[in-house]
Amino acid sequence: MLDCRNLVVTYESTPVLQNLSIYIGAGEIVALTGPSGSGKTTLLRCIAGLEVVDSGTIHLSGEEITAKPAHLRRIGLVFQDNQLFPHLNVAENIAYSLKIQGIKQKLVDEKVAEVLELVGLTHLSQREVIKLSGGEAKRIAVARALVAQPKVLLLDEPLSGLDPELHTRLLQDLGNLLRSRGTTTLHVTHDQDEAKAIADRILDINELMQH
Amino acid sequence: MINAYRHTSKWLVVAPIVVMLLFVVAPVLNIFSMAIQIDSFALLTTPTTRNVVWFTTWQAIISTIVVLFLAMPIAAITANFDFFGRRMLISLISVPFILPTVVVGVAFLELLPTSIHRSALAIIIAHIYFNFGLVVRIISTRWQQIHPHLEDAARTLGASRTRLFLTVTLPLLKKSLRSAGLLVFLMCFTSYGVVRILGGPARSTIETEIYFRAMQLGDVSGALVLSISQLVVVGVLILLTTQFGTTNSAEFRQTIYSRIRRPQNFGQKLFIASIALISTVAVLAPLVSVVRRSILVGERTNFFAWHIIFTDPEIFKSLTTSLKYAVFTIAVSTTIGLFSACAIIYGSTRYRFLNILTTLPVVVSAVTLGLGLIITFDVNPIDWRGAWLMMPIAHCLVAIPIVMRIISPTIRDLPNGLRDASQTLGATTWKMWRTIDLRIIQPALLTAAAVACAVSLGEFGASSFLVRRNNETLPLMISRLLSRPGETIQAQAYAIATLLIVACVAIIGVVDYFGTEKHR
Repeated sequence: MLDCRNLVVTYESTPVLQNLSIYIGAGEIVALTGPSGSGKTTLLRCIAGLEVVDSGTIHLSGEEITAKPAHLRRIGLVFQDNQLFPHLNVAENIAYSLKIQGIKQKLVDEKVAEVLELVGLTHLSQREVIKLSGGEAKRIAVARALVAQPKVLLLDEPLSGLDPELHTRLLQDLGNLLRSRGTTTLHVTHDQDEAKAIADRILDINELMQH
Repeated sequence: MINAYRHTSKWLVVAPIVVMLLFVVAPVLNIFSMAIQIDSFALLTTPTTRNVVWFTTWQAIISTIVVLFLAMPIAAITANFDFFGRRMLISLISVPFILPTVVVGVAFLELLPTSIHRSALAIIIAHIYFNFGLVVRIISTRWQQIHPHLEDAARTLGASRTRLFLTVTLPLLKKSLRSAGLLVFLMCFTSYGVVRILGGPARSTIETEIYFRAMQLGDVSGALVLSISQLVVVGVLILLTTQFGTTNSAEFRQTIYSRIRRPQNFGQKLFIASIALISTVAVLAPLVSVVRRSILVGERTNFFAWHIIFTDPEIFKSLTTSLKYAVFTIAVSTTIGLFSACAIIYGSTRYRFLNILTTLPVVVSAVTLGLGLIITFDVNPIDWRGAWLMMPIAHCLVAIPIVMRIISPTIRDLPNGLRDASQTLGATTWKMWRTIDLRIIQPALLTAAAVACAVSLGEFGASSFLVRRNNETLPLMISRLLSRPGETIQAQAYAIATLLIVACVAIIGVVDYFGTEKHR
């Protein structure tokens, strides 16, 4: 499904990714762990097409996408700090990718309602995103990424900064949601317990690189 | 309210209130009462007035639209890219806004072909030049506050670069665009110096018409009526500006990351280089033409005009007068501005009215202020029309609102914990203010002083009304020299304009030096 081979990224002569290779099968949930500054986020940004790799290749479903622009890759990314569009309300945030695809408004409304129900926040559809709580914002960020039906979903420490109770509840809900939809997922975290609870496989970023 | 300073704040409000009541509120009320008595409102329906109002409005609308459109590319490169000369470019494009309007006028008089002198086009070009830097600064500052990950999120959701700009970046810039647009419209709507120089007799805005009626036709009642009409329009515009200026800070609170990055590919480098080059040439061309004209008499190059401006007693007197008034303006406007800002932030909410009071000179406009001052202080025992002090006071009134807005944010953003720490370490109230507040707001104070200096050196609107034979300032001298025939005399006007350009470039240097992070 997602196959990255020998990725190399260097920032101002500091190596960030050194010959990193990773493979994720269809429908698999893989957790990627590693200390801060080890290049986890950079790897996600390279896969999403937001960073350019110095060398190496990225294949998705057999097609090479290394040089493909981010908006054509169909790879979803949920940011650590959500990055919901502040000028749009909850429903408009979720509908963003659907409108870009040119889907008719009626169908957009249906899909938004469906995904809101999935994350249990139907009652918040018209709320301004700056008024959401931390947990609500996380759910909306995941819903926004899922509604675009990405081939792969990348989660960049999506549950960091939440209180333990909310963390446990959201982790469980997120796991159920991804499995029920069969979403191929790369979940970055530095929390081993979180990785064990959600993933089929756990990888350490340092072990993926050939120094 | 800051508890430690709450007792001091009641004394700080005294001086600003006295100055504003005496020199702004009283003249404005006087204009209103006189206008009501003379019953000249029929003037508003005459074809001449209708033409003036229509021209004032449409030239301001076109200038605003064009300047917003032209400012976007340079705002984009300064907000997004780190490139060689970026800071210098930002300083350079800010120069026109701080230039005296008279200098902008004479620069385009020299640069533009004679066929479009005294035309609406010339005025619009000069307005675009004058306001361009202001718009770039407003939009670029807001653009830098947009978290780059928001745009990344849009890209991963399928947005192309164009779509991303239209659906994310532009909506997030909308408030700053509206705010900048209203400010520019206001500047062009109340434009005076540029129109006096470039418009000639055929092209009048409300401001120049007020001057023309009061000072050349002797029709004070007509001038009063026009002043009131403009005051109402400007008042509404300022209210709108304040409304649109208040951005929901929550939209921009995520500014941990800097979005400024090095250009990634040849296309970006080419785009940046082209925009920077075009902007630099556009800013420098009028300035160079002024310098060139100051050393060109007929076909020959000589420094005769420069020799005269330092030896002719009349011109030299205007130079010293300008400098004297600038020093006065710096001292008084920064003091009153500092007092007002401190009183509003340190004191209870009841001092908030000072915000409105100190904004009044902007609402009133410099020309109306000048008119108000001469019709108010014209009877004994306060017949101060001939007093030298009136002109620098008018300069201070124009500068105070700007000074206030430079100082206030720094005082407001100062964490109260620093003051608490200082007190617990044994500082008295005065020592705490001196070692914490004053120390941190010092760069803002110096910036405010530099801007106050520029305001005074370039002030032309109010000064046109308050000028006497012995107190002409440099902009007034330029205007007078330009109205006289003779190449050498005209060259002297350009030499004085060059001096003012040099002063303004130095002032922008000071402002940008103290505006850097290390001085905050």
